[in-house]
Amino acid sequence: MKLKTIINYLFIAVLAMQLVSCDNKETLDSPFNATPTERLNAQQKELNDMLESSEFGWKAVYYTDTTQLGGFTHVFKFKDGKVDMASDFDDDTAVYSSEYSIDLGSTVSLVFTTKNRIHLLSDSNNYPVAALRGKGYKGDFQFLYYGQENGQIIFKTNRSFEELRFVKATASDWTDLAKNRLMIANVVGATTRPLFRLLETNDGTKTSQFDFNFTAETRYAVANSIETGSSMSYNMGIAYTPTGILVSPAVKVGNQQLAAFTYDAATGNFIATGTAGVTATIKYSNKPLVLTDDYKVLLAGNPRTIYAYIAAFLATAPSNSLLCNSLLNTINASLPSTQKVNRVSFYFNDGANGSYISYSFTGGKSTLYHFVTVTEDPVNKTIILKDDGWLGGSEPTLLKDLDKQLLDPKGLYVKKESFKIAYSNTIYTLTTASNNFRITTYGL
Amino acid sequence: MKKLNFYKKVIALSSVLLLGACASDEPLTDSILDVSTPSKTALDTWIDTNILTPYNINVQYKWNQNVVDNNRFLAPPLQTKVQPALEIVQKIWLESYKTIGGPDFVKKIAPREFVLVGGINLNTTGTITLGLAEGGQRITLFEVDNVNKKDRANVKRFIHTIQHEYIHILNQTKPFDEKTLAKITPTGYTSNWYATSTTVAREEGFITDYARSNINEDFAEMASTMLVNSKAEYDAILAGITNQTAVANIRAKEAVVVKYFKDSFNMDFYKLRDEAEKNTTAVINGN
Repeated sequence: MKLKTIINYLFIAVLAMQLVSCDNKETLDSPFNATPTERLNAQQKELNDMLESSEFGWKAVYYTDTTQLGGFTHVFKFKDGKVDMASDFDDDTAVYSSEYSIDLGSTVSLVFTTKNRIHLLSDSNNYPVAALRGKGYKGDFQFLYYGQENGQIIFKTNRSFEELRFVKATASDWTDLAKNRLMIANVVGATTRPLFRLLETNDGTKTSQFDFNFTAETRYAVANSIETGSSMSYNMGIAYTPTGILVSPAVKVGNQQLAAFTYDAATGNFIATGTAGVTATIKYSNKPLVLTDDYKVLLAGNPRTIYAYIAAFLATAPSNSLLCNSLLNTINASLPSTQKVNRVSFYFNDGANGSYISYSFTGGKSTLYHFVTVTEDPVNKTIILKDDGWLGGSEPTLLKDLDKQLLDPKGLYVKKESFKIAYSNTIYTLTTASNNFRITTYGL
Repeated sequence: MKKLNFYKKVIALSSVLLLGACASDEPLTDSILDVSTPSKTALDTWIDTNILTPYNINVQYKWNQNVVDNNRFLAPPLQTKVQPALEIVQKIWLESYKTIGGPDFVKKIAPREFVLVGGINLNTTGTITLGLAEGGQRITLFEVDNVNKKDRANVKRFIHTIQHEYIHILNQTKPFDEKTLAKITPTGYTSNWYATSTTVAREEGFITDYARSNINEDFAEMASTMLVNSKAEYDAILAGITNQTAVANIRAKEAVVVKYFKDSFNMDFYKLRDEAEKNTTAVINGN
């Protein structure tokens, strides 16, 4: 083909293209009946109208990170760019006012633009545990709008895409925040209750037990199975309600999800009930869930072992029970003001001296020694200390009550703890089998 | 030839067609985007009158995720704290430079935007970022919620951040004498500056701990420390240093700063300091 012919064809092709170039595509039917901009505008309006529509505003239980933190309940009332807000983050559950806006970014989002209660979760300088330094409570205050479902507004948080649902609030939701705060003590566990806690699940036929540890600072609980060979565990963020707690992720028993636990004041238990006999209960126990053999090294025939409660470092140990602290305080109160309990030391298998408890004091008071014999209760896995006489005399009245606990006829549970206090020494706790008595000691 | 004529006619004809091709009978309508001005609060009006209009500096106190690091856990300021913080900025920083550097000084060399953040910007290492100057255009100020105009130490800490960041902006406009400064304490710089206290840093010839991080920060810390302290306070800081070599080194750095302001901007740095001091006292006394 000649070059000239090619040019001719091209020329005609270009002309033909020009003729159809201005064909108006807008007449094509959009599958959504609106342009993208119109649809985004409509969504913005829809969200704002929805937010302003609820008479008592909205309630949201915000779990910022269910792998390590619990839920924080917030209530909001929206009106003309202003928002009234309250939360159960701390004891200040009053209502504060600030501003919000409906922003357009990758999608429509709700932003709390000036400071209010929800921003307390996003303060780099206020963090619950050292691991979260610089991250606060990992909170967000910009929520991407994902539509509505059953009258609830569905958001996802801007940073971590956690789902957050706004449900219509009632008048009582605003006053319930203060009641949520009162529930905290029940979740932490009263000092008058037994010293051990567990989560017990029942799937209708089988009961399973998990040791239950709750950290109030992070509102987070960890429950690990006590059955040998089972690695099953429930880790859950906890939110407080006036009647109990909500947990996320929910406790899965059988194929049911249990998220709402109700507090029973009589027993201190939290109970979640499903259908067909399925339940989950957070309850107290007088006995450790896992009995250890940590006591065996203390029995006769073993090398010398010393455990010591040292008041200067262990008086404030959270693992001391209320009864332990009050007995120590009673002793201190009955001593002259310059004298205090210094150490309560447990010597096991100390050569010719055998085993004994020594009570030493500050302020020049001489040390008192109580010799004991050590036997075991192999079934309940306790050591039993029995009286073998006081050095140079009879039992001093001063130490009578404390000493009686340590010589509990049912024995002491010995546990090697995983935490440390002030020093790198291993911590051992001694808990009586009969009472709520637990003392914290260093392994020396 | 005939063909060429034909082409010419066709081109002429098609140009006429093209010109009229895309005419539309529908008139342009208003934008479907919301272009209305949002209603202004009293605070917004105050900012317009005192910062935006006179200095052409925008203030963002409402949260905008695009101007703050999304990996940090930060929050917007309390609305009630915005004006007190800006009053400090306006009076101690803007007006001092205006008086000494001339009315147009900060208008020409200034950040175009302030971003206000409410809380402390704590790093995971435990250090605290007080401010950021990005590209000389935007200064981010943290800890606005903690501003207390009645407390001198508090005002000094807050204004220190602005003075520090503004020195960076000045440096980006006209570089300082880096060679001279680098020779004064060449071995003292460390990226691990936060491991030692300011007291230790001073004994080594640095005015603050942060000044040890590099010469740019050394210069900015030197200048900003002098600007937030009165002559007496500054002399007292130097008098508290035991190591006389360190004192001499700090004095040498001071000379670099003073010379920089004289040569680059024809400003008497000591007069600027006295003006800032006068305005600081005025702010604290509520004038």
